[in-house]
Amino acid sequence: MGALLLLPVFLPVVAGTYLLVSLAVEKQKRKAEGGELPEPDEEARKKLHTRVLAVLVVSAVLAVVVSWSGDHSVTLFELMKGIPVYFRVDDIGRLFVTLVSIVWVLVGVYSFVYMEHEGKEQRFFGFYLIVYGVLVALCFSGNLVTLYMFYEIMTLTSMPMVLHNGSHESIMAALKYLFYSMCGAYLGLFAIFFLYRYCDTLTFTAGGTLNPELLGNNTWILLIAVFAALIGFGAKAGMFPLHAWLPTAHPVAPSPASAVLSGVIAKAGVLAIIRVVFYIVGADFIRGTWVQTAWMTLALLTVFMGSMMAFREKIFKKRLAYSTVSQVSYVLFGLSVLSPVGMTGALLHVIFHMFIKCALFLTAGTFIFRTGKTRVEELYGIGKQMPLTVWCYTFASLALIGIPPTSGFVSKWYLAQGALSANVGAFGWAGPAILLVSALLTAGYLLPVTTNGFFPGNKANPEELPRLSEPKGMLIPLAILAALTVLLGIFPNPLISFAGQIASSVL
Amino acid sequence: MSSAIFPIVVLLPIVAGVLIPVLPFGNRKNMMIYIEGVVLLNAVLAVAMLVCQPEGEFVLFRFTHDLTLSLHLDGMGTVFAAIISVLWPLATLYSFEYMTHERHEKVFFTFYTVTFGITMGIALAEDVVTMYCFYEMLTLVTLPLIMHTLTREAILASRTYLYYSLGGAAFAFIGVVFILIYGTTSNFVPGGVLDLAKIGDRTNLLLLIYVLCFFGFSVKTAMWPFSAWLPKAGVAPTPVTALLHAVAVVKAGAFTVMRVTYYSFGTEFLKGTWAQTAVMIPVIFTIVYGCSRALKETHLKRRLAWSTVSNLSYILFGAVLMSPLGLVGALSHMIFHATMKICSFFCAGAVITKTGREYIHQLDGFGRKMPKVFAAFTVSGLALMGVPGLCGFISKWNLVQAAVESGNPLAYAGVAALLISALLTAIYMLTITIRAFFPGKGFDYSTISDVEDPSWMMLLPLLVFAVAMVVFGLHPEPILSRLGLIAASLR
Amino acid sequence: MEFVQNFPFICIILTLFSGPLSSILDGKKAKWVNTAVITAVGLMNTAVLAFVIRTGAPYVYRMGHFSAPWGNEIRVGVLEAVMAVFFCIIMLLSMLGGTREREQELEPSKANLYYIMVNLLLSSLMALIYTNDLFTAYVFVEINTISACGLIMIKQNGRTIVGATRYMIMSLLGSGMLLLGICFLYGITGHLLMSNIQEAVGKLYASGQYHAPLVVALGLMTVGLAIKSALYPFHGWLPDAYGYSTVSSAAILSSLVSKGYIFLLLKIFYRVIGADIVRDSRELHVLFVFGILGMIIGSVDAIRESNVRRMIAFSSVAQIGYIYMGFGLGTTAGVIASVFHILSHAATKSLLFISASSLTEVSGDSTDFFDLTGAGYRNKVAGVAFTVGSLSMVGIPMFAGFISKLLFAQAAVECHHKLLPAMIALAVSTVLNAVYFMKTVIRIYTPEKKKVLKERQFLTVRATDQKGKTAVLVCFIALNLFLGIFSEPVVRLLQKGLLMFA
Repeated sequence: MGALLLLPVFLPVVAGTYLLVSLAVEKQKRKAEGGELPEPDEEARKKLHTRVLAVLVVSAVLAVVVSWSGDHSVTLFELMKGIPVYFRVDDIGRLFVTLVSIVWVLVGVYSFVYMEHEGKEQRFFGFYLIVYGVLVALCFSGNLVTLYMFYEIMTLTSMPMVLHNGSHESIMAALKYLFYSMCGAYLGLFAIFFLYRYCDTLTFTAGGTLNPELLGNNTWILLIAVFAALIGFGAKAGMFPLHAWLPTAHPVAPSPASAVLSGVIAKAGVLAIIRVVFYIVGADFIRGTWVQTAWMTLALLTVFMGSMMAFREKIFKKRLAYSTVSQVSYVLFGLSVLSPVGMTGALLHVIFHMFIKCALFLTAGTFIFRTGKTRVEELYGIGKQMPLTVWCYTFASLALIGIPPTSGFVSKWYLAQGALSANVGAFGWAGPAILLVSALLTAGYLLPVTTNGFFPGNKANPEELPRLSEPKGMLIPLAILAALTVLLGIFPNPLISFAGQIASSVL
Repeated sequence: MSSAIFPIVVLLPIVAGVLIPVLPFGNRKNMMIYIEGVVLLNAVLAVAMLVCQPEGEFVLFRFTHDLTLSLHLDGMGTVFAAIISVLWPLATLYSFEYMTHERHEKVFFTFYTVTFGITMGIALAEDVVTMYCFYEMLTLVTLPLIMHTLTREAILASRTYLYYSLGGAAFAFIGVVFILIYGTTSNFVPGGVLDLAKIGDRTNLLLLIYVLCFFGFSVKTAMWPFSAWLPKAGVAPTPVTALLHAVAVVKAGAFTVMRVTYYSFGTEFLKGTWAQTAVMIPVIFTIVYGCSRALKETHLKRRLAWSTVSNLSYILFGAVLMSPLGLVGALSHMIFHATMKICSFFCAGAVITKTGREYIHQLDGFGRKMPKVFAAFTVSGLALMGVPGLCGFISKWNLVQAAVESGNPLAYAGVAALLISALLTAIYMLTITIRAFFPGKGFDYSTISDVEDPSWMMLLPLLVFAVAMVVFGLHPEPILSRLGLIAASLR
Repeated sequence: MEFVQNFPFICIILTLFSGPLSSILDGKKAKWVNTAVITAVGLMNTAVLAFVIRTGAPYVYRMGHFSAPWGNEIRVGVLEAVMAVFFCIIMLLSMLGGTREREQELEPSKANLYYIMVNLLLSSLMALIYTNDLFTAYVFVEINTISACGLIMIKQNGRTIVGATRYMIMSLLGSGMLLLGICFLYGITGHLLMSNIQEAVGKLYASGQYHAPLVVALGLMTVGLAIKSALYPFHGWLPDAYGYSTVSSAAILSSLVSKGYIFLLLKIFYRVIGADIVRDSRELHVLFVFGILGMIIGSVDAIRESNVRRMIAFSSVAQIGYIYMGFGLGTTAGVIASVFHILSHAATKSLLFISASSLTEVSGDSTDFFDLTGAGYRNKVAGVAFTVGSLSMVGIPMFAGFISKLLFAQAAVECHHKLLPAMIALAVSTVLNAVYFMKTVIRIYTPEKKKVLKERQFLTVRATDQKGKTAVLVCFIALNLFLGIFSEPVVRLLQKGLLMFA
């Protein structure tokens, strides 16, 4: 049964590679004949979409089924003596893989329509599938080295999605993304080196595997190392000081790519941090040290700063990117207080933010797809043109602000509770306060799109705003995501208990 | 198999190489067959020798009764000999196509083949004097290879190379003499040969001499502040830069440093002293320095050369950790870096032979026109960065484990330097890849319509190296366990 | 007494009288006589060497029938015999190698004059090597000086005359100091035979009498000979004298004449004063310091020099520095290293001078560094020879220079206080040597531009065009390799000789 874990990893990777290779072969053949590759016609596109969808659905179903059918594990091979490439499912992996699968399928469906106007679909879907496989592997990783390995591969394979349109700007953005991620990964690696030495094993174990005997009096360097890991993996999660890639990469990437970058891949950073802190080092090691203080400070700083930047930002997707910076740091703050309640809140926020942010980016994508408008002030009256999309946007926004009974409220409640209940001194009250301020700012930067969209006032001429059709392929995934953001807020209990169970197992 | 094989693998290429200008070949093809035949034969002999592991020594001749030129095979020599005997035939094959666009082929191949024998001599040297002799000869026989194009630039580069190398050797020589006087024997013995009774209270002097000797030998590895010659030497034909300045010559430098550190002075004597600190600081600095220079460089081969500077210091870093684990790291990086760097240099060479373009900004869009070459280049770039699953990660892991184990705060700084360097490596390698594969919107491919993949003679080595990088990356255990055995003999 | 024991005396006399004989012959015949004499002397010395090795003990040869302390003596040991044989070989090769240049550069009417000088020079060298009498030594030092001057200025142009004058002045200054030193010693001890002086000095030293005059005498003699052998800072005369004279002269002067003085100094140290007393005085430290300065500064001067011949001449300053540095170490190993370096430097320096002259020949007779571009292709043998000489100078293994460097270094390690400066100086000077010699090697193998070649119409010389010279160069290369590879018998011979010497 353990070997089944490999199936959802390899199936999309192989399928994606096949797409890329066949594309390259086709190009070579055409070149030999002296021509360029023609634009694919409608039929070829359909065929491609069907295949991609089939692979996606099959692997997603497999991934979810396998992950929920028990704690399987499998060793792929030994990288070095005592360092196997090892997959194992546990609760947190289960949670993440499910989320990733849902989002990936939905965004995939969305992009079948969206990618028409970006072109080079085969290449996009090739990488899209590969990244999915890599993400599943990342969630299933059973030890730190395996996690690191797939973390790096994820960076490399997701980069082509950022530079998809091939403009100079997007290439630069992709490089920025790459180098920030690499920088982060290497900081993480710095910690892994030391952890390998001072821990009994790098296999994830709830509560940590740190061995005080091995550590001896080297606490200082390990603290530095753990802090490096936090900063490093925090790069993917958009935590200050390595957050700058997000606002650069998102606007230039195709919207589905931004959606998954922001919704899912940023969470991979969170996953890595959870793994390092709670499954290898153990929360007790950093509790009360300068590392925890610094971590909380950075997280709160990022929360506030991200909201401020988003508030000031005029380019819609960039605004959403800053919003991600801010929101993922909510999660990190929840983790940093090292209390079960805080961690529950953090995990809940992971789930909710993933759906919410995807929905928001997809709306942005729809706007671009239909109108080509990218700046917030151009969106006056958009509600008249695409009411359904804007409604979805509104629900998602409300959830992100945290208005009851939407999902965001639940997670923020737990986050605040966690901060107050944990013994973290001034942060106990400063944290919730900053979260609150940030929520206000969130309202400030998200809601104007809705209000101005529906009530443009005299800023837009109603006659110039024809009703635009909203393609079903785009609307349905969006609607599902929007519905999830609200419904999960109304019926959060199973999720809360599941997250609470995870939190109490490691703390 | 007896020890008589040692002089054969050393002298065969030397003799055969010297004969190249003399023999009447008729046409170029015959010459190619002869050279490849000799190199291949020697490589096969060498591999057979490595497999059989013949015992004993072979004395070439005696300078004085206690000063001999003698050959012997041990674990570390095996590693180095294996690297060169695997890479040489492939590199020779590659140079046949490359050299079609250069002149004076015979002279080139003469020295190229002779260098094989000399390098083998360094690998098989039984004692410090033999190693020193071959080391000096290596400088001399590679000099004409750098001068090969005989342009003003090449002449200047060769002069710089010579001054640096001979200068380094002059300081290394001091160390050699001290080993002769203060050692129980001049042979390489795991753990060192210093006679502590003779040293008495002159420990500090010996440490100072070690530092001088270290700097002397590490000139060949282009350690800061002696790194300027390597990028300049990039004017040589690419097979030379690839094989010699990524593998043979520079690795010979690293090899000699390791020999002196682990087999002559001995780590027990050196570890924890100020001498270790004194050599570790420039090593760590070079790791970062080489990378940052690579980043600034816009000339493709020179960028790779700076990258070599940095990577060689990885090896030295392993060496100066002065623990068995450090030696494993250093040796593994020696093997893996050889594969990675020769591959990337060959890609650069392929670009130069096919198009004559040497600067990175001229490589826009090449990825589509030379897909195989740039695929290999990308793999080598990723491996150099240390992406898990490729060989670079393995050696980095081992190096760092040794550093962490040492508990030396300076070594921790070295770990940080390694990672900074990895990041910089990512930047300078991947920018090339991205440029080549994603030239940007509206790039006019017709401007590079003449660009295409080279013939099989160039592609075969690339393929072999690319596969090797993956195989070593996924399954390094056979190599690592061997290296572990070597390191175990030091305990 | 065996007949062979007469040979040293016969050598000196034979060479001394072949001088006047040459004066009545014409140039060509004088050349043959000269060659024959050198060969004969070489063979005789070889026989002497074989004899002393066989008997394993030095012998004293009385001149006339007066016994010590009044008579004049020759004393022969292994060291002396080795030196004599070696000097003959170098002399012969240098003469043969410079034939063509001599024919071009000397007036035909003066050709025989040259051979007179050479014969006298050889005779004085032999005498310096063999004599056991301090005053005889002084006499032959003077003969040596005169003939050397003749060798320099026989190629008559302004520079050689200036060079010879300078040489003359400095040399005479040196001789004067040497003479003063000898007078002091004579005054103190009342002897002129070396062994007698040593006996007397030993007694005086033990009793603590005449301490100051002794030191002064030693100092005067040392400085005098140092001036004559061009130890830094007394090297001002050297570049002109070596750089502009005809090539045989340069080769002989640099490799033999200065070495003869050094050998005499060695003799004074070991046989006149006594090694222990010399070691106790501080003079060796001074020699050591100036030796090291010479090593460095000579090389630096050579680097700044663009005339190849002068560059090689400056290199001699550096090499003399090595030798004095070895003496300065004050150990037996140091002296062995120095003596070996006398041999290896002699073999290398004459090779360099002769091959350099061949290279200038194919570069339009210009000695300018840049004109040599590509000369290694135009005269291949000379190119190879020059390369070998350079490599030996730099101290590459397999060549003679490496062994001397090794011996110096090993000697230095055993000498605690002088270890670091000696080591560093060795390393630095190796680097500096590499800079100018290898620069030249690279230069002669850098192809000249086609345009320049067409304009200047350089000669091209094949190995078969100048058979004599080719043979000489090959012999030199072989000698160099012999010293580099089979150094052990030579070193052992020197050690044995030094034991007999004292």
